[in-house]
Amino acid sequence: MQRQDTWKIVERERDAIDPAEGIGFVSDPGFGGIDVFIGKVRDLNQGRAVLGISYDLFDPLVLAEFERLVAEVRAAHGPLLKLYVAHAKGRLAVGDVAVVVAAGSPHRDEAFKACRALIEAVKHRSPIWKQEHYEGGDSVWSEGCSLCELGHEPATPGALTADAAAATAARGP
Amino acid sequence: MREMTVQLFGAFSELDAAREIRLQVSGDRVADLRSALRDLLPTRWPAFRAGLLEYSAFADQQRVLRDQDALPEDGRVAILPPVSGG
Repeated sequence: MQRQDTWKIVERERDAIDPAEGIGFVSDPGFGGIDVFIGKVRDLNQGRAVLGISYDLFDPLVLAEFERLVAEVRAAHGPLLKLYVAHAKGRLAVGDVAVVVAAGSPHRDEAFKACRALIEAVKHRSPIWKQEHYEGGDSVWSEGCSLCELGHEPATPGALTADAAAATAARGP
Repeated sequence: MREMTVQLFGAFSELDAAREIRLQVSGDRVADLRSALRDLLPTRWPAFRAGLLEYSAFADQQRVLRDQDALPEDGRVAILPPVSGG
């Protein structure tokens, strides 16, 4: 029996993520709706010209987390659902595809909801980090969501966003 | 005391070329490792913003660990700064 869902890491040095693969995977004769999210590297962030992004992943935990996230989305929006997640690893150039999430279902509502839920979970809970490379030659690690709420209270609750942003801005090449 | 190896990711990966550090930990909980790193980071890497540790989680290969969890038997954990995938 074919798997209903798939998830993977794509090493940019070896391959590129192909959104068509995601669409093909979630296609089914019984499915009339497919929703796809494609995340690409853009050339500007917070007013600075971006040349590329390096993605760092803790591979085994990323794959374990993708499996859990897919199961959660399936439980919430399935069972008539096929899900696909692919995330890039390594150095990407502007325009490269960083992530693809696809969801197929009999009707559009479930496809939209499942796709949105899955990409948000991938962004907020997967152990993936991006380092932006700027035109000026410096690079900065982007800091988004702390996983600490799973096990540790920050020393200064409520200050996470500003503090993390300050940490990011303070680091040089 | 037990020796732990911490795999480094994101901003922490710049601390060491091998992307891991070894340190002695007094205690067997994740919180004890956090405490040991709180002492080590500003000493060994004074230019690094050690405060990032307070917003970072720890994990083994299968799950994020809570501070009260036991340190893994194999002596290996990963430190996970705030994530930014997608």
